[in-house]
Amino acid sequence: MPTKTHLIANGAIIDDPWVFIDDDLPLGDTPSIISLDRLKTEADALRSRNAKLGVVLRTDTQGKTKLGEDVRELAPYLDMLSIIAIDFPVYRNGRGYSDARILREEMGFDGELRAIGEVLFDQWSFMARCGFTAFEIDADIPLKTFNEALSELGEAYQPASDNQRGVLWRRHGL
Amino acid sequence: MYRYDEFDHKIVTDRVNQFRGQVNRRINGEITEDAFKPLRLMNGVYLQLHAYMLRVAIPYGTLSSKQMRMQAHIARKYDRGYGHFTTRQNIQYNWPALDRIPDLLDELASVEMHAIQTSGNCIRNVTADQYAGAIADEIEDPRIISEIIRQWSTFHPEFSYLPRKFKIAVTGHKNDRAAIKLHDIGIVIVRNNQGEIGYEVHVGGGQGRSPFIAKKLADFVPAEKLLAYLEAVMRVYNMLGRRDNSYKARIKILVHETGEAEMRRLVEEEFSKIDSSQMLNLPEAELERIAAYFAPPNYESLPAQSDSFETAKQNNAEFSHWVKTNLVAHKTPGYGIVNISLKPIGGIPGDATDAQMDVIADLAERYALDEVRVTHEQNLVLPHVKLDDVKEVYDILSNHELATPNIGLISDSIACPGLDYCNLANARSIPLAQEISTHFADLDKQYDIGELKIKISGCINACGHHHVGHIGILGVDKKGTEFYQISLGGSADEKASLGDITGQAFTEDKVVDAVDTIVETYLDLRQPEERFLDTYRRVGMEPFKEQLYAD
Repeated sequence: MPTKTHLIANGAIIDDPWVFIDDDLPLGDTPSIISLDRLKTEADALRSRNAKLGVVLRTDTQGKTKLGEDVRELAPYLDMLSIIAIDFPVYRNGRGYSDARILREEMGFDGELRAIGEVLFDQWSFMARCGFTAFEIDADIPLKTFNEALSELGEAYQPASDNQRGVLWRRHGL
Repeated sequence: MYRYDEFDHKIVTDRVNQFRGQVNRRINGEITEDAFKPLRLMNGVYLQLHAYMLRVAIPYGTLSSKQMRMQAHIARKYDRGYGHFTTRQNIQYNWPALDRIPDLLDELASVEMHAIQTSGNCIRNVTADQYAGAIADEIEDPRIISEIIRQWSTFHPEFSYLPRKFKIAVTGHKNDRAAIKLHDIGIVIVRNNQGEIGYEVHVGGGQGRSPFIAKKLADFVPAEKLLAYLEAVMRVYNMLGRRDNSYKARIKILVHETGEAEMRRLVEEEFSKIDSSQMLNLPEAELERIAAYFAPPNYESLPAQSDSFETAKQNNAEFSHWVKTNLVAHKTPGYGIVNISLKPIGGIPGDATDAQMDVIADLAERYALDEVRVTHEQNLVLPHVKLDDVKEVYDILSNHELATPNIGLISDSIACPGLDYCNLANARSIPLAQEISTHFADLDKQYDIGELKIKISGCINACGHHHVGHIGILGVDKKGTEFYQISLGGSADEKASLGDITGQAFTEDKVVDAVDTIVETYLDLRQPEERFLDTYRRVGMEPFKEQLYAD
């Protein structure tokens, strides 16, 4: 995991307005990202809160299955959320790609989807295709490298959450 | 055969250019070996015991003569003059230098080939029946849907970091030559009562340290819906597959721990969600476009029998033997399917030299309508040879040590690379395959024994498919000594079964004797027309065990 990161959203390095708030700390009036557990237990109170809210989906690193939190549990709360952060504890754990597509294509989430954790070079374009719009990456990586990586593979065979239809369809004008 | 269009070309070329950049950054020291590892693995580059190894994809095992000639060229220019055909219908090069791999990939791309997704925890090269399009009674050429699956799975953004690797195999024939029940997904092409083509989908088969036969999750998925169904299986696996222990991460473990019925329910639920958008409905026009590439070639109209072929058989006993084992009936009158054994007596299973590959490419071009196939049993096939030409083809093969008449016999064994190359292995496999094949070198003896598949793995990962060998041999390491465990009764065909372990393992110097004992026991017990597997299934383990552990 990089020690220092910067945030790239919509093709630019941006200042992060969001703060991750631990479960045992009070929520202020600033845009805050909280855990799924807290969202579920404090949902009623949070609805009347006067600031933007986000949630982070974590992959369980304890337990025997290391499965992680179920993205579909977010369904009742989606209207409250401006951002959903999905954690990649190691690059090899690709569960978050499915979470992202389910949020975009099945649940219709249209806020910011942010990839955090081990978010490496070869993954960015796949993440973008699955619906991620923000990437927390190593601060040593210049914006230019990131943008080039996104355009290195110009065509895709299959549809995903971006607006490419997939070569298997485009060949026939679909 | 399928030919790339501008999209396919761009996808492969972009990937080569991307990898060239990554290799340059690695060589300049901009990225560490650790950071480079996931990048090279995505491009088929492994770090083996002695050097980098490159695995090149041969989609569904089909090559043109031009593509085969390129393999010979690569073996010569980038390797030490040979390549190794694998049990997944791919070819591996054991000695390429890292800084030259991007050039090698450029050359591959020039003949519409690549090394994409031949490693890593992604959907690997799709395999299929090696007799596709040539064998009678096929429901549909499995290469059509295999090519569609190849394209759909290439750089799939959701399924490139799965819990573990993922292998798909397809057969369009009731006789399964693609071992579909031992794959993560096995597809059988079927026709329903309305005459429509669809797909039976088997999920969760596999070998390794916990072998399983796949469970049939769907009887009939319509062609249009197959990609949506496959995405449903993949998504359930990506969400629920175990990631805590790499030995428990394959989908077979998920299916086993979840149970067949619950797994089917999960997949169907996911399918209904994915399918609701209709985004993955495969366009009929695309199916037709790809099917057109696999339309039957222009066969000549010939009599079913060839006089010159019959005469040659009568005049030449060796040729006649070879025909018996290596020539298979073709669906078209006057043609045959020629199997080329890559298991010369005492040789390395699956290896071919650059010169041999050139010869095979020439034969394919002149005599086989420009096609070569790779089999999962590590042999090659010339799928469409006129019977009139078979003797000439045989003579040329003979001159290049490619006419060993042993397809399906005891010396036609599968073996993984083993401790000679692989950094996972406990024991050597290749020398053992060589010893067994030398021990049973006598052809009359081999014919007497009949069909007997020996499969040898150098470790529990089972790359040599020992679980499904009629006789399976597994290398195990006990306190620094190589031991071999033997199993009997495995099979990878449509009646797939896993072998039973005979008992205590054997030291290396006793393995050949043990195999000999097993064979002699079979010869004593067999009834007329019984193959080894039939006898074993009739009499069970006991008589073999008695003889093996008599003293």
